[in-house]
Amino acid sequence: MIRDALAPVFAWLGHSALGMEIRSSAVLIALTQIIHLLGLTMLIGTLLMVDMTMMGVGFRRYTVAQVARELAPWTTGGLIVMLVSGPLILSSESLKCFESSFFWMKMIGLAVAIIFHFTAHRTVAQADPPVPHWRARLVASISLALWIGIAIAGKMIGIYGDDLRREPPPFQVRISDTGASPLTGRQAPAARATVR
Amino acid sequence: MNLLSFCQWLEKTPVAMSMRESLWIFDAVETIHTLGIVLVAGTIMLLDLRLLGLGLRREPVSDVAGRTVPWTLAGFCLMALTGAWLFSAEASKLYHSPAFRIKLVLLALAGLNALLFHLTVYRQVNGWVDIPVRARMAGLISLVLWTCIIAAGRSIAYGPGYDQ
Repeated sequence: MIRDALAPVFAWLGHSALGMEIRSSAVLIALTQIIHLLGLTMLIGTLLMVDMTMMGVGFRRYTVAQVARELAPWTTGGLIVMLVSGPLILSSESLKCFESSFFWMKMIGLAVAIIFHFTAHRTVAQADPPVPHWRARLVASISLALWIGIAIAGKMIGIYGDDLRREPPPFQVRISDTGASPLTGRQAPAARATVR
Repeated sequence: MNLLSFCQWLEKTPVAMSMRESLWIFDAVETIHTLGIVLVAGTIMLLDLRLLGLGLRREPVSDVAGRTVPWTLAGFCLMALTGAWLFSAEASKLYHSPAFRIKLVLLALAGLNALLFHLTVYRQVNGWVDIPVRARMAGLISLVLWTCIIAAGRSIAYGPGYDQ
């Protein structure tokens, strides 16, 4: 329902000058993906240490609040990098994302994770004195499961996005000599099947 | 036997064949490999930021290293295993990929940088009053190298040689 309501937005995004520009250049496509991946490393890498400290396997000499306070700017920084590069990638492959169930799973997961991160997770991370161990463990597990789940769903868009595309894109497609999809840089499903 | 014929031989091993024939193993291993970067580069980044004085400033460097290095090594083993597995499936294609070659060189440099750091300046970590310039340099070099390794790794899928 929400998906259908957003269809015009995706069509507009796909036709936008920005989307067309990124899509037309393999370098720009790769660059947006690389920046997105670097943001992921910053976000989950730092969150991993905070959550492991919450679970009692990270930094033991310092409280969760101290570790969280030090790393929070980097976690938020990583999130911002992802939230900027994400829509750029989306504009370059809006139809693929629109058609991919993994994309919608990722968006729902992302909304839940962001709310969770800035409410329940933040409360526990900043609690001084620390909250009971079982509660910290629970929150840390949920946090890690959410973010890793989102990352896996994101990877799945790239892997299965092509296969889920049911209709030809409404925009002009430049077919390269290699048969690689100009949307994704990957081989079309039929060609891939012969490669692997 | 030259490198290319080794790659061609590798592709015909049962491990590589089973990966190419399966509809999901390659994608699953690739997902683990991509997400594993969080463990390796994420933990390396924490130590680098500490060395540069940009994060975890109240923790002694030896504490940060003690907590992150085991995870870095575990993550690296995961990445090396999944990476080798992925490589076996498309060895001769990757042989022709400049991005892949660059990535391997950068990996070697990053390893050398870490080795030099741990064998020399890090030995006197308990005597550090301020973080030595050489340690800061090691942190900066490591940050730059790992950023480039991620970029090169991601570029393999887009660069020449891959989809040919």
